[in-house]
Amino acid sequence: MITTSELGAEGLEVFGLRRRFGEVVALDGVTFAARPGEIVGLVGRNGAGKTTAMRSIMGIIHPDAGEVRWRGRPLHDGARLQFGYMPEERGLYPQMPIGAQVAYFAQLHGMTAAAAGAGARHWLERLGLGERLDERLVALSHGNQQRVQLAVSLVHDPRLLVLDEPFAGLDPEAVDSLSDVLREQAAAGRAILFSSHQLELVERICRRVVIVDRGRVLADGTLRELRQRLPAELRIRVDGASDWAAALPGVRIARTDADGVVLVVEPGTDTQAILRAAQAQGPVEHFAYETGGLVDLYRQMVSG
Amino acid sequence: MSAWQVVRLIAGREIAERVRGRLIRILTLVTALLVVVGVALPGLIKSSSAAPVKLGLVGPSTQALAPAVTRTAGAAKLHVRAIDVADPATARDLLVSGGLDVALELTGADTAVVSVKQSLSASARAVLQAALDDVHLRSGLALAHVPLAKVLPALTPVRISETIVKPPAPDRTARTIAAIAAALLMYVSLGLYGGAVAIGVAQEKTSRTAEVLLAAVRPRQLLVGKVLGIGSVGLGQLGVAAAAGLIANAFVHSAKIPTSVILLLPAFLVCFLAGFALYAFALAAAGALVARQEELQAATLPVQLPLLIGYLLVYAAIGNPNAGWLKLLSFVPPLTATLMPARIALGHVAAWELPLAAVIMAASIYGMARLAARVYAGGMLHGGARLGWRAALRLPA
Repeated sequence: MITTSELGAEGLEVFGLRRRFGEVVALDGVTFAARPGEIVGLVGRNGAGKTTAMRSIMGIIHPDAGEVRWRGRPLHDGARLQFGYMPEERGLYPQMPIGAQVAYFAQLHGMTAAAAGAGARHWLERLGLGERLDERLVALSHGNQQRVQLAVSLVHDPRLLVLDEPFAGLDPEAVDSLSDVLREQAAAGRAILFSSHQLELVERICRRVVIVDRGRVLADGTLRELRQRLPAELRIRVDGASDWAAALPGVRIARTDADGVVLVVEPGTDTQAILRAAQAQGPVEHFAYETGGLVDLYRQMVSG
Repeated sequence: MSAWQVVRLIAGREIAERVRGRLIRILTLVTALLVVVGVALPGLIKSSSAAPVKLGLVGPSTQALAPAVTRTAGAAKLHVRAIDVADPATARDLLVSGGLDVALELTGADTAVVSVKQSLSASARAVLQAALDDVHLRSGLALAHVPLAKVLPALTPVRISETIVKPPAPDRTARTIAAIAAALLMYVSLGLYGGAVAIGVAQEKTSRTAEVLLAAVRPRQLLVGKVLGIGSVGLGQLGVAAAAGLIANAFVHSAKIPTSVILLLPAFLVCFLAGFALYAFALAAAGALVARQEELQAATLPVQLPLLIGYLLVYAAIGNPNAGWLKLLSFVPPLTATLMPARIALGHVAAWELPLAAVIMAASIYGMARLAARVYAGGMLHGGARLGWRAALRLPA
């Protein structure tokens, strides 16, 4: 969890956001930050509160309680012009040509007509749509439409990117392309916050991960930090034996799969004793600590 | 960026999007053509109905009646052209073919036959009767050896002059038409362009475009820009149609537009613009309520109803332009746009009434714009379900 001392006065900070919709509690005290140069992944299942949190940041929803700060000061409308937003579903005009459309949104964010036009051309070319500036949005494939949406969020040179499920429905090539753009933007000093279900992807790209569930932040930190918080997991595969670990003292079976059994080892338990027990069952093919991926981390956090 | 710059940007996009469509250009052309036809047609028909009645005089004795017929026709202000016809058979053929409208044949000293293709108008019958009676009387007097000169004064028609006890307001017909036209125009243009506002707002809301927009601009700016943009397109189209109509009128001289009606136009324009703004914002609010475009019809119904009522009431207003209920209702904002023009055209409107109505309208438009903005911004939270009007009114500002 972020402590107050860690929070710099730079970038985006979200404190104790609360929001209900009638009976449904969407946000129940959400706190996290996205600093310049950081790519932060917001992870959680449907209904966890990711979209609500992002909308609160973008000022589309007003939280019941809590605060959003930007560069150390409470966020106001003018500052939001420095943000680039990509909503979960397509938020564009279907009949408008894409070149004009990207330029339009750029102008709404304060760019001059000339700069907006140039910016639109630059980004659409960068995203592989340079030849299709006069085509209407509806004539493009889903993946290409998403690229236009991305261009809209980038064209006005925002300091913060807030992207809701930007990778949804993209083919691997498009995923790589988008990842490159995000890394590039982070390297240039932008703060990036994006949500996704694709945990492997988040693991690859993000520096920090914020796991939300039922409107609360379950974990917040770098992957390494998060792994360190969890108890050690030992994966053991014994040839020919499967149900042998149930009676072992000092361990708990986390899961069993084709690659053996994963045990959660309680502190103080003698792992050599576990090894001997395994050897007694048959040839031990695998006996090593599991370096939990985000998928496992997430599962543990959400279920534990 | 200032609020006005934002509004201008948004309005510009609306205009560009609509003008870009081929449909809109076709629609404008068709409307203009319809107006031209509507204006030119009466002019063309009128010229044909002003044609003289072709009267065939069958036989030499009948042909001698020509001066008498012309005289009585003149007195009755009926334009008659007398044509000599040789015999009844020829007359019959000409009647069937349309070469004659009426054929007259003296069959005896005091009998005559009038032939028509299908029917004889009352005025033609009266003229012929009068002509025949006149000739009959003169010949009778001549036979009785009464000197014509002595009797002539008695034979000249009695001069009747007209006195109108309660003259109608000048150009009453033209003003009535103007009042009806104004109401009809309001109804039709709100159906078209007000509808376009509702659809546009619904589309932005259901497609999440509204989210991206609201991240940068305020909802009120968005809606004002929308109404302004779409309203401008509508006004432009109406202007084109009106210009086409006026040009057609100048060519065909269908109707002479009285000066008093032309003087009404500025007031009509203001009423139109105010009414359009009020209803357009209301329709924008309706559009912001829906979760799917299929729900639009139901959502806009509460707005369409007062508009229809306002239109229908104009017909009642025409009959009694100074009625008490009309005076009262013309200050009710949804009805002002159609009822006030009717009152201005046909009734008596005191000097203080117009500024008062203007203030009420201005306040209503402002309130409606604010409501629409609230619904637009708030309506998005309820993504799945459609917001009812009552729930919408309770949304936080």
